[in-house]
Amino acid sequence: MSTLAVKVEFGGGLELLFSNERSHRVTIPALVPASPSTDDDAPKKPADLTYLIHWLKDNLLKERAELFVENGTVRPGILVLVNDADWELEGEGEYQLKEGDEIVFISTLHGG
Amino acid sequence: MSCGNPVADADALMQRRKKYDKTKNCVKCKVAQGNLVIRHAVYCKECFLHLVVHKFRRALEPTVNPKPDGPRKTTLKPAGNLLVGFSGGLGSSVLLDLVHRCYIALDKSTMPTDGGSHHPRHERVWTRVIVCYVEVCDAFPGMKDRTEEIAKHMQRYEGLDFVSLRIQDAFDPSWWERMGGKPFTSELGVTLADEGLFLQALSSPSSDPLASLRTYLSSLPTPTAITTSVQTLTRLLLLHTALQTGSSHLVLGTSLTSLAVSLISGVAQGAGFNIREETQEEWVPEPEVSTSSADPSENAAGAKEEKQKSRKGKRTVRVVRPLRDVGMKECAAWAWWSGVPVIGKEKWGWAGAKPGIGTLTKDFIVGLEKDYPSTVSTIVRTCGKLAPKGDVSGSCILCGRPAQRGVQEWKTRISIHSRPPTQHPTAPNGSNGSAVETSPACAADPDSLRPSLTPYLCYACHTTLTSKSARPVPSPWPAVARASTVTLPVWAEARLSSAKGDGESTEHVHGEILQTRRVGQEEMKGIVNEFLLDD
Repeated sequence: MSTLAVKVEFGGGLELLFSNERSHRVTIPALVPASPSTDDDAPKKPADLTYLIHWLKDNLLKERAELFVENGTVRPGILVLVNDADWELEGEGEYQLKEGDEIVFISTLHGG
Repeated sequence: MSCGNPVADADALMQRRKKYDKTKNCVKCKVAQGNLVIRHAVYCKECFLHLVVHKFRRALEPTVNPKPDGPRKTTLKPAGNLLVGFSGGLGSSVLLDLVHRCYIALDKSTMPTDGGSHHPRHERVWTRVIVCYVEVCDAFPGMKDRTEEIAKHMQRYEGLDFVSLRIQDAFDPSWWERMGGKPFTSELGVTLADEGLFLQALSSPSSDPLASLRTYLSSLPTPTAITTSVQTLTRLLLLHTALQTGSSHLVLGTSLTSLAVSLISGVAQGAGFNIREETQEEWVPEPEVSTSSADPSENAAGAKEEKQKSRKGKRTVRVVRPLRDVGMKECAAWAWWSGVPVIGKEKWGWAGAKPGIGTLTKDFIVGLEKDYPSTVSTIVRTCGKLAPKGDVSGSCILCGRPAQRGVQEWKTRISIHSRPPTQHPTAPNGSNGSAVETSPACAADPDSLRPSLTPYLCYACHTTLTSKSARPVPSPWPAVARASTVTLPVWAEARLSSAKGDGESTEHVHGEILQTRRVGQEEMKGIVNEFLLDD
């Protein structure tokens, strides 16, 4: 399959940035550019959490991107769970997404 | 390991350091796969949830009995009720949930496995648990009023009483009287524009607490001062509510992360003398507040209070932060896995405001926690080892915390004044003490005799009120004119009023009124003449 479907949830006030919807079903390409590039010949990598974060920012985020991303990753103070486990156990941004994964983004800052 | 070029040589890029130690299995049960990493240690969900409850109890329960436990653990018997300060934020939501599970719902999963004195077969620890919310939206323009949302949230929890206040109650004499405070007849205002903080009678006493609040905040010199003042007002409102509800304990939802922020930001604002109070304190109200409450349902508690008062003489409120060992990340994970909805709280800001010390500190610490999680707990641990030097001289009229003796003298010595200092003039050769004057004695500077708020303040509060910004500071309420004289919070007015009225010696922070005047050389010689040896 060339796409992946994953479930994304937002908590701790982050849902306010995403149309006030807590739960989203998202479909992303299975293979993505290894580095930001529109070149078709650019090397590809399996879609990972870093890609998902950028995809969410570009496609679902309605406002105030700086409350979600900073320096290419999630802002400090946002807890990320992958299938109910801390993303730090799975290699953080480098974790490769699988079909049906559940990703949760919880803000601990509540309004910033 | 060579410092090679990562583009050319794939192995040259250093391996990213793992964010957890050893294996992905839980460090406690060693069986289950981990779900969460806390400061490099891996925990499974079940062990993590138990750990949070354990840390909560460990921080709170030793403080419950009036006297600390001896070698044998005794039953928990607090002197009064429990007041939970609730802000709607993450920490207080988690705190409320834990308090309810452990002491009201008596959730078995939160009970320690040993059948000790905490065993549910014994009576409930707290006769009454009250939750208090202070709505601060009227202090900041455009902020949403969350009182209704919070009240609705409270309905989740049976067996709790809910009290909601508004930040402007701090300027409301009728609220003060409801709290058992002695009504004060006249009001004094302070001139915040002048660093002398002179007091004078108000031409017309304030009738609108909201206007008094906004005038007070608009007259403060920096954004830091505004934020800190709102925090101080909130804390004092909670403390007085604790007294009025017969509560011996006030618990706050300060997490390990928030505590690190408040410790550092406190020191940065000059509150180092009260660094221990930032973690835990025993507050004694001043002036003394009558403990008889108007609420008839309070009778049982009221009788207990009176007995306690006659036994001990003065009511105190112990402020405890049971989540002080639980980081922000752990609170978020607890809230998510335990299904605790978090209403959240808004950022405090207004048009044109630059971030204050508190905001900058929080951004720094939160960023630090992400990359170096152990640093935050190190900050709190290190601050816990500090014990400030210096004698206590009364309590601050604004923040209610112990004030350090001699701070005004120290400030005068080290600071540059817009007017020449009226106390302790220095001699031309730079030494301190009485000046050597060649001119005749001049009259005392009239300002040194004017009543001022300064002697009543601790160092931090004095700095908050007088430390000016180099830039013009936009006010949160530009429509409100910066008044020349502003009303103070009701507890400060009450204390000034009782100090002024009764003919007793005025009680200042330093325990004495200092008055100095320049002394001429002839006069000085006259004083010491009989002690001089004949040449």
